[in-house]
Amino acid sequence: MSQDPQATDEYSKQAASPYKWEMVVDLDRCSGCEACVVACHAENNIRISGEEEAAEGRAINWIRIERYWEGDYPDVKVKFLPVMCQHCDDAPCEPVCPVYASYHTPEGLNAQVYNRCIGVRYCGNNCPYVARQFNWFDPHWDEPLAEQLNPDVSVRSGGVMEKCTFCVQRIRSGKEAAHKEGRRVRDGEITPACVQSCPTSALIFGDRNDPDSRVSHLKKSRRGFHLMESLGTHPAVTYLRRLSE
Amino acid sequence: MDLYRRTLFKILGLTAAGSSLPGCEREVHNLVPYLLPDGDIVPGVANWYATTCQECEAGCGTIVRVMEGRAKKIEGNPTHPVNEGKLCARGQAALQGLYNPDRLQGPLRREGKRGQGQFRPITWEEGLSEWVEQIRTHAGKSAMVTRPVTGTLASLLTTMMDSLSGRLVMYESTGEQTLRTANYLSYGTRTLPHYDLANADYLLSFGTPFLEHWLSPVSFGVAYGKFRQGRPMVRGRFIQVEPRLSLTASNADRWIPLRPGTEGLLAMGIGQVLLRDGLTNLSSSHQASFHRTFSAISLQTISADTEVSQEAITQIAHELSSASAPLIMGGGPAAAQTNGTTTLILINALNVMIGAIGRRGGLQWMEPQDSPVDLANPGLASERTLMDLALEFEQGSRALLHLYRADPLFTLPPSLKFERVFDHAQFIVSFSPFLDDSTLMADLILPDHDPLESWGDHVHHDTTSVPAWSVSQPVVRALYDTKPIGDVWLDVAHRLGGALGERAPWNTFHDLLKSRWQTVLTKHDSPRSFETRWKETLQEGGVWPSTIPHHQISPAMPSVTYKPPQFLGNSSDYPLYCYPYPSLGLHDGRGANRPWLQELPDPLTTGMWGSWIELNPTTAQGLGIHPGDRVRVTSDYGSIDASVMVFPGLHPDMIAVPMGQGHRAYGRYAKGRGVNPMVLLGPNYDEQSGSLATGGTRVRVERIKGGSQLPMLEQSGKNPVLGRLQETGGL
Repeated sequence: MSQDPQATDEYSKQAASPYKWEMVVDLDRCSGCEACVVACHAENNIRISGEEEAAEGRAINWIRIERYWEGDYPDVKVKFLPVMCQHCDDAPCEPVCPVYASYHTPEGLNAQVYNRCIGVRYCGNNCPYVARQFNWFDPHWDEPLAEQLNPDVSVRSGGVMEKCTFCVQRIRSGKEAAHKEGRRVRDGEITPACVQSCPTSALIFGDRNDPDSRVSHLKKSRRGFHLMESLGTHPAVTYLRRLSE
Repeated sequence: MDLYRRTLFKILGLTAAGSSLPGCEREVHNLVPYLLPDGDIVPGVANWYATTCQECEAGCGTIVRVMEGRAKKIEGNPTHPVNEGKLCARGQAALQGLYNPDRLQGPLRREGKRGQGQFRPITWEEGLSEWVEQIRTHAGKSAMVTRPVTGTLASLLTTMMDSLSGRLVMYESTGEQTLRTANYLSYGTRTLPHYDLANADYLLSFGTPFLEHWLSPVSFGVAYGKFRQGRPMVRGRFIQVEPRLSLTASNADRWIPLRPGTEGLLAMGIGQVLLRDGLTNLSSSHQASFHRTFSAISLQTISADTEVSQEAITQIAHELSSASAPLIMGGGPAAAQTNGTTTLILINALNVMIGAIGRRGGLQWMEPQDSPVDLANPGLASERTLMDLALEFEQGSRALLHLYRADPLFTLPPSLKFERVFDHAQFIVSFSPFLDDSTLMADLILPDHDPLESWGDHVHHDTTSVPAWSVSQPVVRALYDTKPIGDVWLDVAHRLGGALGERAPWNTFHDLLKSRWQTVLTKHDSPRSFETRWKETLQEGGVWPSTIPHHQISPAMPSVTYKPPQFLGNSSDYPLYCYPYPSLGLHDGRGANRPWLQELPDPLTTGMWGSWIELNPTTAQGLGIHPGDRVRVTSDYGSIDASVMVFPGLHPDMIAVPMGQGHRAYGRYAKGRGVNPMVLLGPNYDEQSGSLATGGTRVRVERIKGGSQLPMLEQSGKNPVLGRLQETGGL
């Protein structure tokens, strides 16, 4: 909610890069319907863990809907909170990686280089948002489910950490298309799979460096806050508070 | 290398084979990346094809990303008026229907006893000739149970069953038959209105699960986003009344729990206050009949029976009258009682009182439009109609059963004894692409194509703001030796010949579809040829006019007397009400064979890959039951065993169980997983609509030994994904 001077510094550091990708989650719109969850699985070749692994807490979701109960019957309320990698400007996962698998792109993405990853899981331990998930086993799809796999996204093997990429493959192709036409990416032209599917338009994605983008406008909302702001991670995901009566 | 090239040519042949598969090339789809002209397939580059989602009856427009002949991703069609580019979890998971490892790969003939699940592959010729023989043997004794279909397929099936003197029954367990009946009595039409949520500023919902599965959930989701934050100075307020805090209710500003089945009584109380305080828009001629209905029971009694305080009732009435565009919706659990129709009539009357009929932000009906297809739609059947059908099989007036994407042996409670139909049927043909619980009993299986391999269309006449007709086209070539149901019926019509053959002169369902659309697309004098218009229609995903002529409705106040709900089972042996609800991902069970949906955590309990019983924490404590304990739920009709989830948002006198699990068949992901709560339900009906009162059975719960842990996203103490944010003050 508060304007953090340090965060502003981060933006100026990145002024050299034309884009700074950010997301806004409007909790007053989010209905918890989980369309985003399946959209993400379909787009990003997320493994099907199965009952046993899910019971062990090893089901992989790059985006999940957390829900919080408040109060007792009959004065009980539920709040939903979609959580994905927050693409922190000061990401706790990055400095701990011994092999630089976790690094920050000039466009503000917290990237994971799968073929550098050696699976020490320090990053996962250090992520306060539990956004990083580890492949304990090689993925498996019963034939012919694998026909659906997205060729733009690599399948992660066992021993590799993975997480939300803001659908970097879509960002790339969007940028390529714009580059061919010799222009900047237009607002709304690039949508990660979750943003694309969201029925209530609770998720908004765009370029923070474009002062007219919807993300830039919504970030200024008085409803805005970041998850665990006190940790100083400076997330690229801004949440807009749900209103109540 | 040569093999690779050949494979590549085979793949290329797919699009070369058809101008039948026009991709999206028009400017209007500019939101979609990778636009390519028709027929130009480049390995590594995607084509997008418009089609229609068939995972539920809403028929959202979709676009499918196809690369090298394989479907990769389904998204909403941005130009489609129903879903405006959005799509739900179930719609996305349609890909796992297409590429499901347990799809039937060709026609099958039963071997061994019925229901043993032993089948032998046969050729289509063998299958079709045997079927024709059976139709001849059982002349005039055919029946078909199908999921609701619209458009050209509906008219084809109607024609076929008419010609065979057969009976066509379209059944959907969440078809809201009660709502249609109530609307007919209140408004004189069975067509469901467009609920203009996006422009309302106050929503009072009696149980409608409109953000989960009700009528057209994506369309409601889009409207809900606008209702909350789509207008600069207005944020819609939302009150949900129902005994269980559903996903929809958890989005409400205020959730008002009440005693199950008393929703109509609460509506009566609200109406009473509106009339008493002079807050209605009624003409003086109407006033008297409304007064008579709404003043029958005192507010004090209403408050005591519903467990909603008089202050709360008065507050809602006053909020309704001070809102500028209030809207009231009723359905779901409110309708799933023996007094469902009465309840909904009272709710309809409230809409009349607040002037919501035909108003912006209220209920709107559109004028009936010219449709590309005959609306020879027989309408949806209630459970009572299915019982009539069962009787006909018992009496021998029906002998040949056809099943199409309907699984009555799974979705109906066993207490209705629908298996009578299967016991008495001389021959059973199923067109299901999966070996579901009912198809397991079939003698002959002639599997249909997947919707993503099929031609079709969809008529949107319920709940839509504009009249729309969507088309479906094959986006990939058929994977297996299956045949589209339309083609199969046309083939059989030709084999039978005679009057039936004459009524079906088309070679394929595609020909029939095009001939239907030709009449409409060439009607509006356009200089362009039909072929051009047809190709455009396929690229767009359908046709929908931009202007909306509204239909005037003259609502009536039917004389209704409120009747309390009737429950099966006495309250001393069975102290709790049983409430089975359609699961967000699996719905009534049809999603259970899709691993994405099995692994989709339930948003409220975070349970996956199984079933559970929800109990109010106080009730659980009283029974000495802890979260995770295994319990047995028993009614007069059956029992189920599952582990307990303590659910803070549940009426204390109630248990809730998600539907969708407990299949006997339906593939590796569904078979033998969890329990089906329908086994608990007794034959209890809403009299007026003939719908099953799914909330009308009482049960008891007792702790039993053993059991296994249900996978949950929330793992307290072990892998604290949830909760950590709350502990650190993130929220």
